[in-house]
Amino acid sequence: MNLTLRVWRQKNAHARGRFVTYEARNVSPDMSFLEMLDVVNEELIGREQEPIAFEHDCREGICGACGFMINGIAHGPKRGTTVCQLHLRTFRDGDHLTLEPWRAKAFPVIKDLVVDRGAFDRIIQAGGFISAPAGAAPDANAILVPKEDVELAFDAAACIGCGACVAACPNASAMLFTAAKVSHLGLLPQGQPERNDRVRNMVAAMDREMFGGCTNMGECQAVCPKEITIAFIARLNHDLLAASFKGRKPPRTAASP
Amino acid sequence: MDLSACDVLVVGGGGAGLRAAIAVAETHPNLRVAVISKVYPMRSHTVSAEGGAAAVIKPGDSLEEHAYDTISGGDWLCDQDAVEAFVREAPAEMLRLEHWGCPWNREPDGSIAVRPFGGMKAQRTWFAADKTGFHMLHTLFQTTLKYDVIQRYDEFFVTKLLVDEGRCQGVVAIELGTGKIHAITAKAVILCTGGCGKVFPFTTNANIKNGDGMALAYRAGAPLKDMEFVQYHPTGLPFTGILITEAARSEGGWLLNKDGYRYLQDYDLGKPEPRPVLRSMELGPRDRLSQAFVKEQEKGRTLEGPYGHYVHLDLRHLGEKLIDKKLPFVRELCLKYVGIDPVKEMIPVRPVVHYMMGGVSTDIDGATPLPGLYAAGEVACVSINGANRLGSNSLPECLVFGARAGKVAAAFAAELKAPSPSVLTQAHDEERRLEEKFRRGRGAKERIATLRAEMHETMEESAGIYRNGPALQKAADKLRSLQERFRHLTLDDHSYTFNTEQTAALELSYMLDVAETIVQSALQRTESRGSHQRTDYPERDDKNFLGHALAYRAEDGPPRIEWVPVTITRWPPGQRVYGR
Ligand SMILES: Cc1cc2nc3c(=O)[nH]c(=O)nc-3n(C[C@H](O)[C@H](O)[C@H](O)COP(=O)(O)OP(=O)(O)OC[C@H]3O[C@@H](n4cnc5c(N)ncnc54)[C@H](O)[C@@H]3O)c2cc1C
Ligand code: FES
Repeated sequence: MNLTLRVWRQKNAHARGRFVTYEARNVSPDMSFLEMLDVVNEELIGREQEPIAFEHDCREGICGACGFMINGIAHGPKRGTTVCQLHLRTFRDGDHLTLEPWRAKAFPVIKDLVVDRGAFDRIIQAGGFISAPAGAAPDANAILVPKEDVELAFDAAACIGCGACVAACPNASAMLFTAAKVSHLGLLPQGQPERNDRVRNMVAAMDREMFGGCTNMGECQAVCPKEITIAFIARLNHDLLAASFKGRKPPRTAASP
Repeated sequence: MDLSACDVLVVGGGGAGLRAAIAVAETHPNLRVAVISKVYPMRSHTVSAEGGAAAVIKPGDSLEEHAYDTISGGDWLCDQDAVEAFVREAPAEMLRLEHWGCPWNREPDGSIAVRPFGGMKAQRTWFAADKTGFHMLHTLFQTTLKYDVIQRYDEFFVTKLLVDEGRCQGVVAIELGTGKIHAITAKAVILCTGGCGKVFPFTTNANIKNGDGMALAYRAGAPLKDMEFVQYHPTGLPFTGILITEAARSEGGWLLNKDGYRYLQDYDLGKPEPRPVLRSMELGPRDRLSQAFVKEQEKGRTLEGPYGHYVHLDLRHLGEKLIDKKLPFVRELCLKYVGIDPVKEMIPVRPVVHYMMGGVSTDIDGATPLPGLYAAGEVACVSINGANRLGSNSLPECLVFGARAGKVAAAFAAELKAPSPSVLTQAHDEERRLEEKFRRGRGAKERIATLRAEMHETMEESAGIYRNGPALQKAADKLRSLQERFRHLTLDDHSYTFNTEQTAALELSYMLDVAETIVQSALQRTESRGSHQRTDYPERDDKNFLGHALAYRAEDGPPRIEWVPVTITRWPPGQRVYGR
């Protein structure tokens, strides 16, 4: 099959970008989307042109490296998949596809389809960990955790941090990501001691990073490759409300061992 | 060139690297730690480990049994003092991870759930659904973020170790986003760069696993140990090499040949039972299962498809409920990549290169013979994996030896003064080499893709599941000539931002070094042991080869091999018995 690609090319963070059109000829419907880009890139290299930069690693939908917009939809038209899991059989011969990087103030473009998602790390840094002392000699016994709680925590912990939720949100909000991270730890007993501070600090970090506010549009859950639902956003809002009634501990900076 | 300095520099942000960084920050909070990684830490390959991590936790199990399973599984090539330390420290490491928020699966009573795994006589593999590596890595990553002393260099590609006055004092790296070259000095360097599956054409390993750290250490003069031992995983998807986790077999999956027959019963692996039996049949060790596949193929009892020979992995009898509960990722992978639903259809599988038992030679604290240089995780060979790793031992290995290396490197760094000034001269030489070789270099004619394809073909033909002397000799010669041709490489991409062609060229040069050590060690080990099977020397030979091969770099010529004995503490070499 043949495809026409309109691809966002941008040399570096400071350069101005523009769309350039490429043809992907005689590609097999069994190929994955990224394999098709590999083919296009091989051709570009053959013609001594710069290949299209895009992030990828595992190509199994688990590492969260890949991701860009295809015709305005994060990770393309198929639900519950990352770009690396998308196959060309999803498209029709002769389709015209526009490929753009995630667009959000908090995710500056580094090159072509690659953006800087460091803002996500900084949200986690604000509280997405457990600092209750476990250091030197952990208990000989595991903590008992109800099976259902672990299972719900799994659903939240499934977030791969790809950024599709932000890219899809008309407000460029990072609420689904933050909610997933807050819920994962908030559902486990070991996450309880810091529950209130965590939610407050992470939401504050989200605002600092210039992500937009959540107005409950639900676009995020539609593109999430791990199908994380906005029910977790409700959970976050609930925790945040509860936390605002409770005493405030000074925010943690460095951890004490 | 940009200059920066730290006390302990960890190269690699996978399970081993992050665990090492945390260990430094915990034990020596005054030291500056840096983690340098060519991909975002959370994209490291640890993320794709599925099945689980072994550590003794249940009543009835014992450290001795975990040690024995590991040592017999490794065909007595493991250093037994290292194995003893490993099994002893693994449970505490796993619990520590739970305290940091790792959602381990639970039994109905709320206690840790474990599953059986190949070659293990007791159930001791902890898991987090079938995304164990993902949850472990995320937990470790989130934990590193709470330490301000841990600085990250994400998307920095290390090209050289700086060695001066007989010790390792830092690295040179390219910042991928800008193309800028950095010299980062350190009092101790810990290599945690993972494996080298991409030396072979069919592998479960992602593109980033090119043996970088092995080649870096080797070029700095440290030896690589047991490189001839390459693990084939018996169940990869043909064509893509995507792994179907061993958990599919521990939950009760069957391997069937073209006649629907559970062929493993013909290879001294036990009798077929409807339910999984530990250390038997489909739960035998990986080397034996992969070897059985080759024999079946020789007998003409495998199936043939567009991408070569394969057999079937049958999960249908497990039912939809169990598959969705315990193996959701297996179903997802099969549906997305081959359009097959394992609830209704059998999965085509074949052995694929999966794991490197060998690596940078270290002692049981992760120290290499080169002062100031440490290694942990898949890049290292301690050795607890011997001639064949047991599934689910390598994630806990990353934790145990990552932590050990971190502590010891921190203690070493705490004693030292600043690096010697002359390392910077070396860094400038490296900058010049990179500029000349990888940024200009027009006019030459060799291409990355061609050299890589020829290397793949060579490795597949000579260093596969079964090997022989003449094929290995031919491969050794061929690799020499590929090294020569590499000097005439041409690159078309001369940009500075995310120059993927440049990194591909550097990775190819690492892989060629690693490939040479694999082939040379395999050539000189004239016996069969674990994953190294020589058709011309089919027996294990403890008299001559109960030892590790150390490959040293030679100036011009193939690697030089030296031998050191295996450390035996309590388990004298014996027969490997499965299914009986
Ligand atoms: C598909 C799959 C499934 C597996 N399942 C299991 C399992 O169920 N149980 C189990 O015990 N084991 C399993 N394994 C094995 C196990 O996952 C790996 O051995 C282990 O995760 C390796 O971790 P690591 O920290 O050593 O390296 P990795 O996680 O590979 O990390 C390597 C790091 O080094 C960095 N790096 C490499 N080169 C450079 C360079 N030149 N410059 C800068 N940085 C560099 C990378 O960026 C990365 O951060 C599996 C392996 C695979 C491939
Ligand atoms: S490349 Fe890893 S999720 Fe797509």
